[in-house]
Amino acid sequence: MGYTEEELKKELETKEYEYGFYTEIDSETFPVGLNEEVVRRISKKKKEPEWMIQWRLKAYEAWKKMEEPEWANVQYSKPDYQAISYYSAPKKKDQYKSLDEVDPELLKTFDKLGISIDEQKKLAGVALDIVMDSVSVATTFKETLAEKGIIFCSISEAIQKHPDLVKKYIGTVIPIQDNYFAALNAAVFSDGSFCYIPKGVRCPMELSTYFRINQAGTGQFERTLVIADKSSYVSYLEGCTAPSRDENQLHAAVVELVALDDAEIKYSTVQNWFPGDKNGKGGVYNFVTKRGICHKNSKISWTQVETGSAVTWKYPSCILKGDNSIGEFYSIALTNNYQQADTGTKMVHLGKNTKSTIISKGISAGKSQNSYRGLVQVHPRAINARNFSQCDSLLMGNQCGAHTFPYIEAKNKTAQIEHEATTSKIGEDQIFYCNQRGIDPEKAIALVVNGFSKEVLNKLPMEFAVEAQKLLEISLEGSVG
Amino acid sequence: MEFKEKLLDSHLAFEERIDLSDAIHQTRLESLKTFEQKGFPSRKDEAWKYTSLNAMVLKDYALFPQTETTIQLKKVKKYFLYEIDTYKVVFIDGVYSPFLSDTTHDGLDVCLMSAALSKAKYRSLIDTYFNKIINKEDSLTALNTAYAQEGAYVYIPKSVVAEKPIEIIHFSTGKEKALWLQPRNLIVVDQNAQVQILERHQSLKEHVVVTNSVTEIYAHQDAFVDYYKIQNDLSTASLIDNTYISQEKKSNVRVHTFSLGGKLTRNNLNFCLNGQHCHSTLKGVTLLEDQQHVDHYTLVDHASPKCESHQDYKGVFSEGSKGVFNGKIHVDQLAQKTNAFQQNNNILLDDKATVNTKPQLEIFADDVKCSHGCTVGQMDEDALFYMRSRGIPKKEAKALMTYAFANNVLESVELPILKKRINKLIAKKLGVNLGFDL
Amino acid sequence: MLTIENLHAQVEGKQILNGIDLDVKAGEVHAIMGPNGSGKSTLSSVIAGHQDYEVTKGNMLFQGEDLAKLSPEERAHKGIFLSFQYPVEIPGVSVTNFIKTSINASRKAKGMEDMTANLMLKKIREKSSLLEIDSRFLSRSLNEGFSGGEKKRNEIFQMAMLEPKLSILDETDSGLDIDALKIVANGVNKLRSNDNAIIVITHYQRLLEYIVPDFVHVIFDGKTVKSGTKDLAIELEEKGYDWIKEMV
Repeated sequence: MGYTEEELKKELETKEYEYGFYTEIDSETFPVGLNEEVVRRISKKKKEPEWMIQWRLKAYEAWKKMEEPEWANVQYSKPDYQAISYYSAPKKKDQYKSLDEVDPELLKTFDKLGISIDEQKKLAGVALDIVMDSVSVATTFKETLAEKGIIFCSISEAIQKHPDLVKKYIGTVIPIQDNYFAALNAAVFSDGSFCYIPKGVRCPMELSTYFRINQAGTGQFERTLVIADKSSYVSYLEGCTAPSRDENQLHAAVVELVALDDAEIKYSTVQNWFPGDKNGKGGVYNFVTKRGICHKNSKISWTQVETGSAVTWKYPSCILKGDNSIGEFYSIALTNNYQQADTGTKMVHLGKNTKSTIISKGISAGKSQNSYRGLVQVHPRAINARNFSQCDSLLMGNQCGAHTFPYIEAKNKTAQIEHEATTSKIGEDQIFYCNQRGIDPEKAIALVVNGFSKEVLNKLPMEFAVEAQKLLEISLEGSVG
Repeated sequence: MEFKEKLLDSHLAFEERIDLSDAIHQTRLESLKTFEQKGFPSRKDEAWKYTSLNAMVLKDYALFPQTETTIQLKKVKKYFLYEIDTYKVVFIDGVYSPFLSDTTHDGLDVCLMSAALSKAKYRSLIDTYFNKIINKEDSLTALNTAYAQEGAYVYIPKSVVAEKPIEIIHFSTGKEKALWLQPRNLIVVDQNAQVQILERHQSLKEHVVVTNSVTEIYAHQDAFVDYYKIQNDLSTASLIDNTYISQEKKSNVRVHTFSLGGKLTRNNLNFCLNGQHCHSTLKGVTLLEDQQHVDHYTLVDHASPKCESHQDYKGVFSEGSKGVFNGKIHVDQLAQKTNAFQQNNNILLDDKATVNTKPQLEIFADDVKCSHGCTVGQMDEDALFYMRSRGIPKKEAKALMTYAFANNVLESVELPILKKRINKLIAKKLGVNLGFDL
Repeated sequence: MLTIENLHAQVEGKQILNGIDLDVKAGEVHAIMGPNGSGKSTLSSVIAGHQDYEVTKGNMLFQGEDLAKLSPEERAHKGIFLSFQYPVEIPGVSVTNFIKTSINASRKAKGMEDMTANLMLKKIREKSSLLEIDSRFLSRSLNEGFSGGEKKRNEIFQMAMLEPKLSILDETDSGLDIDALKIVANGVNKLRSNDNAIIVITHYQRLLEYIVPDFVHVIFDGKTVKSGTKDLAIELEEKGYDWIKEMV
């Protein structure tokens, strides 16, 4: 008859990871371990200039002296950094001139991911860069973009073809010694995306990167750098998946955004790394550093839908350096089974009249732990800074946890900061009401969760919103029609 | 010699002054070890991120006052609720003052910790309650326990309603150049009993004094405890207040903290709700200027179902003062049907003033209603202008706005005479005479 | 259509229904009246299949099928509609999205394809005008911040959209002013047909002036104590429920 907690729990457990396939592709993978030699080899493999090698080595030296952070509200056995291979690439030609040259197996992978490149091309509107096991394998729409002067390529290509731009900005938002994982990334990153929007250009389509970890025993360390020159605009999307494996895989990415005067960057992520099985075995450790710097009158908006990974440690942040700049953070973090997420944002108000908005929706189910951690900092010179934060948590079942750790530091008397947080559960009355209208409990939960997350889903570009909505449903249930 | 070393070394001297056969000496020694291991907290500790004790513990302090001091009642009368009859436990430089005190054993015990520790008839109570709900990892609490000897001891037996409020007052006279005090209070309120308590630390002249106080409060089933802390000390006095409260079924405990003075004040206020249907109230008004620093660190541990907690802290900060609020609500997996609310509102009046606030929720049960909100803002300039256009001078207008801002907390003071007194203190602090009672 | 025999039910171990009998045929309107706490709303929840209510004795047949075996959503798919006394809020889910999900869930259960967007839109327009519902209303979050009248109107709008066989209107008149009551009653009357049936649960006779019942049943202490025609409702209004209490 009715729908009990027990049934709910059972249903939540039977959720399967849809993207857990592994693609048979001939790969070139470095032996495990990390030392100066490996750093040099990666750099050499990428045909990098000397300054880049030096930069990496400096990062490696810094990393060696650092300790893995423990302050986050997550528990995991620390990875053995000497048991990871730091480079794995699909073994084929170095460059693809067109999609026809790409390994058909790889293309099939993308089909399975639901991102058929053909389709994407037809849809017109999304230019795609795909990073598989740390190496960029395909970038679409390059020519269309080139007409506008937009550079959208892999970061390895950018280091070779646009060294001045890379050299000028890389590591400026997130210094190499910023934190343990950022330093590691700087030393060993093997690829990632690069994007430059010239002055006054409004990027005509969504730029998109798909990341996938394929090979076993590898870590993925991609690095993304987005530069929006004065008065330009870009919307950037990022998606991630990984095969189901018993072991924990490490993903330590770095994303740097630079919004120069009057520019706007919208950065959206749908993160669906393998979360581990229902017993908490396997899954990706997602330790990511994302930060953007806003110059005068500029705006950076982070939107994230986090449903994957066994452990997430991620705080997309905005340094509001320029006067009148705006930072936004919209987040949905859903954890199920044994997943742990410690995620949130930092809004650092340095300039005058800077504004920030934080909307965070946490959904915890199963035995998962979901934490929001945020910092709003108003510096003495940041006159008229404004912040509004809203953090809501939804709990499903009584074996999970929802936590909120907001830090607010105000050093200017004109600051106006408001923070609100609520915690609630899905009401049995809501489920019954839906049931009475013919909607089954599974769908009813999806409906309530989608409603709960709507403020954030609305911030995603259309193509992503639909996918994200589906992902939320899949992450909570077996499958929903 | 570092002050930490001095504290460790002086324990031998302390032992010579006390009865080593009392019930708690073993606990003292263990606690001294804990303090030795942990030392003073530093800003590296997450709990002390915004408050540094470095400058404080670099100084040297006298631990035992050399001479006993008496004070004339008329000089300190204003610090008491003299308008009404109260029980009083008064200490001068850490030493009990029988002259200023008014204790009782008539139907309830309001007396000295040292007496309770030495007399056999209190032994079982001390065994049951002393040092039982404190945080064993907390180094400052351990330090206090290591030197625990004097303070207030209050026991309200079953179904007894204490008819007079109890005032616990610590004076420091400035006879010592710098003094380190460590009072220890134990308050046990048995089933269905009720009590109102007022606690105050007051220096009588400008001199360096640090008080590291620990208070344990046990509220049994259906008990009611109404506790007020008045912190309006001189700008040379610092206070670390560690209060631990344990609540049983259907008990109701309210703690109001008014932080208006002092140099550095840290309030560690811990509630543990062990029975169903408990009510807990934590409220505070903080009004600071100059280089004053107040850090409210609260923890409400919902360990049982169907309890309700309310926190409401208001802060107004000017002239380089610094306010910290760190409030944590922890809801245990068992604690279904919990209602927990937390509110922290702050007004910054000056560019040199700082507010750091960190309200936290840690929730492990799903059928709960928890919320927190915090704001940092300014006085409403439009409202100020409105009042001034009606002829109210700026200072008075600001004072009115401050009252309005803090009103929720002031209104919930249940002792009328105390409410009046606090209103006066606030008016004085704001430098206004409003000519009417608020 | 709906046959209820000697129905007993309890909630959290407390016996609420102690023998309800009801026989509703297609085309009929039945009114169920009774004082507060007599079990009226419990009956509607039991028919809809609320998990908190346990049927301890008796049975309910809907079109010959035993209801006890069916989940709430299956009952809805078969054509049972309950207009809630207190409609539930679902933040972030618009009225339109909700009704779309609801209709397609029922269609899916019947092995039908989703309703096309055009048809859905047409239907929404038609039914919302029937209940004088503004199109802006349709994009608001379901019941969130709705006034009492809006909530009830929204319930009847969903009823119109779902075209149920049996509609149970639980205290639909409570919280409505006279104008809203007329709109709602008018909507209900337009939905009446020879194929469907309606059960109106109410405390007062007022609603029955607008939705005229064929039969009136009085429930007291969880039992059907008196049945009659619409005159019974008028008699009740005049004599009050004490009259029934004395009779029992």
